[in-house]
Amino acid sequence: MTSTFKETVKEAKEGGVKKRIAVPSPKKHHMEPISRAAKEGFITPLLIGNGKAIEAMIGNSPLASLSYQIVEAGNSAETLRTAISLTRDGQADILLQGGVDQKTFMNAVLDVKTGLLKGKLASYVSVLQLHQIGKLVLVTDTFLNNFPGIVEKQLIVENALGLAGLLGMDQPKIAALAAIEQVNPSISSTLDAAILSKMSERKQFGKAFIEGPLDMDCALSQTAAARKGLQSVVTGNADIYLVPEIETGYQLIQAIVFFGKIETAGIILGTVKPVIPDLPFLSDEDRFIELALAAMISNKGVSHG
Amino acid sequence: MIRSLEDVSRLAKEKGPKKLAVLSPEDEEFMRAVKRSWEAGYIEPVLIGDRGKMDRVAEKVGFDIGRFDTIEENDRQTVSDLGIGMLFSGKLSIVSKGQIPTSYIYRSVIRAESKAGSGMTVSVMSLWEIPGVDHLVAFTDSGVNIKPDFKAKVEIIKNAVFLGHLLGYPRPKIGVLSSQRGFGEMMPSFRDYKSLRKLAEAGGLGECEVVKGVSFSDIFLGTRGRMKSHEQVDLARTPHVILVPCLDTGNIICKLDLFLNVKRCSLTVTSKGAVCIPARSDMSDSIEGQIAMGVVVADRMEKEVH
Repeated sequence: MTSTFKETVKEAKEGGVKKRIAVPSPKKHHMEPISRAAKEGFITPLLIGNGKAIEAMIGNSPLASLSYQIVEAGNSAETLRTAISLTRDGQADILLQGGVDQKTFMNAVLDVKTGLLKGKLASYVSVLQLHQIGKLVLVTDTFLNNFPGIVEKQLIVENALGLAGLLGMDQPKIAALAAIEQVNPSISSTLDAAILSKMSERKQFGKAFIEGPLDMDCALSQTAAARKGLQSVVTGNADIYLVPEIETGYQLIQAIVFFGKIETAGIILGTVKPVIPDLPFLSDEDRFIELALAAMISNKGVSHG
Repeated sequence: MIRSLEDVSRLAKEKGPKKLAVLSPEDEEFMRAVKRSWEAGYIEPVLIGDRGKMDRVAEKVGFDIGRFDTIEENDRQTVSDLGIGMLFSGKLSIVSKGQIPTSYIYRSVIRAESKAGSGMTVSVMSLWEIPGVDHLVAFTDSGVNIKPDFKAKVEIIKNAVFLGHLLGYPRPKIGVLSSQRGFGEMMPSFRDYKSLRKLAEAGGLGECEVVKGVSFSDIFLGTRGRMKSHEQVDLARTPHVILVPCLDTGNIICKLDLFLNVKRCSLTVTSKGAVCIPARSDMSDSIEGQIAMGVVVADRMEKEVH
């Protein structure tokens, strides 16, 4: 099982073949993590945009002495179009948001006809490295889906289970979070969690086990759960935290990042190739790890999403 | 100005003992917290709940409860109604939740506020003590309103500003959270943020300020900022109040204290005094701290009101 980001980097290198990363309209601040991953030898950047400007930006940076490719393209709409078609056609293995604005990028990636959707639903997962318990933990969906219903939550779980499998989680334990651990018909998150929990009891998620509804104290601590009369293999030991909706997901991950100084990496699942959006609360180190994670997924690639 | 929970316990010792009703202290952790709070001079307890259970746990933690007022009651809603009733009739200063769900207390307080004609909305504030931040930070509403609309958010903020002032923050900063991202439709929580910011600027929320931005990234990195490394993050920028968009968000985040290096303390401020809202899973140390907070808030409310 992959239990640290260091191991993720190792696994990224194990593929042997360098993964081609499409970067539309690269900016200077993208260079640090990209150069580092290129230097570690697991990626080749495909920098898409104005060749001269890109060359100037690379200048004397570490990337100058490494292998990279420049794909000439005009404005950011064109660089993005090129990046997406390279990714879809198999000439790139991983897609980065690069310097394209979030709205244009996400709309293009999620476009049903011309985007990169693989199945019915793409979702975003945050991967956390928790030193205290010596393992990686997934939190989803922390960026993409606003108010998923039970059908969408099922797909979000399945996407996360795909990644959990690649990380070597054999029987992933999932905490379906809500405000309280009791089923309360006026709190819809508790109903969804209860249904998912029942589905998992009936083996509808294979070897994975979902417990819910769980409030955060019960999810994090077996002692807390026991005081509320709750016994489960998931309490205090979850591998995947499923949040009820985006208001919680997007803020929860940031609360963990800022107040806990926890290292996180995030990736879009459910697309034909790994896609990495550009979120503000990731450090350069985190961005390097995201590249490693994407390369690892690409290496083991069969079941992405 | 109250900067830490240590300040709170020092003040509770100074201002106590206050009369406090505990609703169903029927497990050892709660009873131990009542015992310690009494020993520390914070409170004079009134115990309401299942007599047999209270006696059993009191004996286990070595606490002679024979000397205190005890009210035998097994129905949870009645337990809560009795305690809140005594608070509203002025027989005591504070109520603390014991081993019963918050929803019972919520119902009792709503009824009592409506009877008293106070017009006060019920909301729970979960205060965090965060290393590196020189004030407490209140997440609200973490316990009552499931999906507050704009009107409810105004009331929730007013409650938090009231508490902020009691704690000695003359012009509390408020972060209004929304998961609005660069794509997708405008979210109701983002619309509420914009309206609340305007309302605050016009003075409609009292002495307070709604800060710019709707996420922790906005707060710590600026609305167009990026994080290069964790070292650049200055937690001192944390606002005094974080208004969460819904109950799930508030409750799930505020309980990260089990995982992060922060301490939590939850309470409701009613028109007639404080109600401590520890989680049913909290341990006695934490509950004791929450009772101390109730004592300090009750003391300051008495001075405000009388």
